[in-house]
Amino acid sequence: MEQAAKRTRAFIALWTTLVLVVIYLPIACGALASLSKGRYFGFPIKQFSGEWWEKTASSIEIGMLTRTSFAVALTVTVLSVAIAFFGALAFARYDWKGRRLFQKLILLPIFFPQPVLGLALLLWFSALGIQTSWLTAVFAHLVWIVPVVTLVISIQVYGFDPTLEEAAFDLGCSRWQVFREVTLPLLWPGVWSGMLFAFLLSWGNFPLSLYTAGADSTIPKWLYAKMVAGYTPMVPALGTMSTLGAALALGLGGAILYLYRRRQMR
Amino acid sequence: MSSDVKKPKPILQLVGVRKTFGDFVAVDRIDLDVRQGEFLTIVGPSGSGKTTLLRMLAGMDVPSEGNITLHGELINEVPPNKRPTCLVFQSLALFPHKTVGDNIEFPLKVRGVDKATRKARALDLMRVVRLPEHYYGKNVMKCSGGEKQRVALARALAYDPEVLFFDEPLSAIDYKLKKILEKELKDLHRETGKTFIYITHSLEEAMVMSDRIGVMRAGRLVQVGTPEEIYATPADRFVSEFVGEVNVIEVAKTAAGWQGVDLPGLYTIKPPKDAAAEKAFVVIRPEFMRLLAEGEAADNCLEGTVYNEYSLGSRLQYQVHVGDKVMLVEVPRGRELRAGRDATVRLGFDARDAIVVGN
Amino acid sequence: MALPLPKAGTRAALPVAILLLLGFIAPLAAIIAYSFATPRSFDVFSSFTLENYAGLFDPGNTVWLSFLWSGFFAVATVVLLAIIAYPIAYGMNRLFGRWSSLVSILFVFPLFVSENVRLYGWVLFFIKNGVLDGSLKAAGLEGGPDLLFTPPMILAGMVYTYLPFMLFPMTLGLAMVPRDLVDAARDLGAGRLQTWREVELPLAMPGILIGMLLTFVLGIGAVAEAKVLGGQSVIVIAHDIEIAFTYSQNWPLGSALAVILTLFIGALTLAVFGKLDLDRLLGRR
Repeated sequence: MEQAAKRTRAFIALWTTLVLVVIYLPIACGALASLSKGRYFGFPIKQFSGEWWEKTASSIEIGMLTRTSFAVALTVTVLSVAIAFFGALAFARYDWKGRRLFQKLILLPIFFPQPVLGLALLLWFSALGIQTSWLTAVFAHLVWIVPVVTLVISIQVYGFDPTLEEAAFDLGCSRWQVFREVTLPLLWPGVWSGMLFAFLLSWGNFPLSLYTAGADSTIPKWLYAKMVAGYTPMVPALGTMSTLGAALALGLGGAILYLYRRRQMR
Repeated sequence: MSSDVKKPKPILQLVGVRKTFGDFVAVDRIDLDVRQGEFLTIVGPSGSGKTTLLRMLAGMDVPSEGNITLHGELINEVPPNKRPTCLVFQSLALFPHKTVGDNIEFPLKVRGVDKATRKARALDLMRVVRLPEHYYGKNVMKCSGGEKQRVALARALAYDPEVLFFDEPLSAIDYKLKKILEKELKDLHRETGKTFIYITHSLEEAMVMSDRIGVMRAGRLVQVGTPEEIYATPADRFVSEFVGEVNVIEVAKTAAGWQGVDLPGLYTIKPPKDAAAEKAFVVIRPEFMRLLAEGEAADNCLEGTVYNEYSLGSRLQYQVHVGDKVMLVEVPRGRELRAGRDATVRLGFDARDAIVVGN
Repeated sequence: MALPLPKAGTRAALPVAILLLLGFIAPLAAIIAYSFATPRSFDVFSSFTLENYAGLFDPGNTVWLSFLWSGFFAVATVVLLAIIAYPIAYGMNRLFGRWSSLVSILFVFPLFVSENVRLYGWVLFFIKNGVLDGSLKAAGLEGGPDLLFTPPMILAGMVYTYLPFMLFPMTLGLAMVPRDLVDAARDLGAGRLQTWREVELPLAMPGILIGMLLTFVLGIGAVAEAKVLGGQSVIVIAHDIEIAFTYSQNWPLGSALAVILTLFIGALTLAVFGKLDLDRLLGRR
């Protein structure tokens, strides 16, 4: 019995590691390709060079792309968290008549292929006569990302003890004070996680941006266009930079969350 | 007991208070006067409506019918943050993201009291509830169960409410700690002189701490009285059985006197409260049911066989088969039965020790 | 007499509801409307015809091939991922202990990396003189297999992309199996396989079902893998829709295809959702 359990444990650990290696392999390949000197990729790399990273970092076009991507992601983050916060309260906290239906409806945009959603939104914008731009891309991102953030915050809301609000109220708080002193501080970790999710999902999103961003270009759009025609190692360079940026954001965000929790527990 | 110097006067009055949730009646017309400065406990089994009653008193729920007045003023719809009352929740509802000091100061902080005054008062209260001073900056989730109770108490007292409500705060605590906290609550009550309204399902807790006890069942107050009254003169079977296991004999009035219905024989008992009653129940607590020695007499005698013997620490309990029924007899150690199981015994009880109730 | 305020829950749900109404329901309605318009035109609401749908029943139409390919890929992805993800989900719940959080982060992070970057990385791996081919040649062996731009490569790419969508719901599902029950079953005499089949699997089923549904639904509408890794070897249905919307400028046809796809997805989703208790799954006490 013990032997079998040990073997299972080893197998699972090995399997997980293998899968993780496979997952990060293409990202590593991209990083490699960005560091090769020549224009075309060949392995093993004959000469390493940082020239493509330099070119990418100094390119004006890419600078614009980055700003657009950032503007979209930031706007999506702020708006989605504001909307999803109340959505999460409706999802997990308040008891109201349509709650069960609401829970299922809110998941529909997640259970829907993004390319088809993007095309549908493109059609919708055209039918309304709205010119597609980074703003319409923001809207498209929201449709998908708000449900995701709602779920993330809901998980935090589920663990929230409503009697704490009652107690604060009983001890003399006004409704606003209850929110500021009890509700928000306790829900903050969920909100912060939601913000991270929103930013990162928007930053790397391709299918929705492709169809709804119009003339404005984001990093993923540019990467795809160059992949199809006009490949240079700037493509994997930008891709790797973008990935590193995401990792940095995630790391920082996670660290802040950890510190916040530590401070509360003192 | 409230001091003899002050005549007890009602601080809270409930008249015809009723609460329904759709078709379900949680509280069914309660009339109650709560005296200023008393320790009143409402006991009842789960589902009896005591929590709903407490929430209406605290302001979390609004009565469907009836009036609740404080110092004569109607407070039915006054929200909890505007009442001079405080509720100590069953889960204590301590703010997990704040320290002991922050929790206690909370009611003062939201009333705009400055930091220095708050801190002084918090430390004062910590002394009153016997919490060491260095706990002030400690995160409240790191405290033990008993310590958390004290923090909750200190917080409730911080802004000096007139009435404190307690929602079964000791139900999830182990026995030893519970005994300690019961006595401390009682002391706190005496020291602060405030009105305490406490609810629990354990009559034992109520007996230890209360000036008066109210027994609730299915939304109604069945009896309100001092612990002695509840114990010695329960209003009905339910209340009497609430204290612990009892022996019950059903009797019916005949020309010859009170005849046993389930245990045949003529019984000498005190007359029931309702003089015209044709039926009654005689309730005898196990400690008043005696094992009669050779030649010993009692107002009422029964014969039976010993079925089982239980040790209850300092007392012994015997289960005796009498007819179809099982009678319980409790004797202190030193007076136990020499013979063992299957021994034939004579049981007896006196009229003055038997409680007669109508239902 | 003032109107009674709607309950807090209803009010809180309003912003999301409005967003989804304008951004999800409305576009879908527009698509339905367009699917009835004259082919190749833009006069929606002014025309009504079933031509677009009728055209699909034309035996010469290759659209059915696309549907079949998409369906095949989706099913195959679900089956493969169910097997691949299960041991990992099991590990997250039972074995990894303190490391679970780190492992979760490692598996979630790829979702934040643009799919193009990931998929193109595979191109760089498998392409002639790429990482695989080059390493094998450098080791003196024959060059790497010519897997790129073939259907198996598309499938591999989909399995790769949709792993998190199978893994996380599965992990949640397994988390719903109380430890006590497994111990009790073992104590009552059940073997490991029996315990798994009788206790763990049925109780984890809600999560597993969601994972399978999500993977299938996203997979059947996937297009990036087919494009980047498959070249032109296979046209999936989402690609057909895109072509109709962009190159062919035949919005009514594209809409008709999208409607059929949506109906299929919607029916499946609602069927599975009908049996779910989301509160329990997400951790309500």
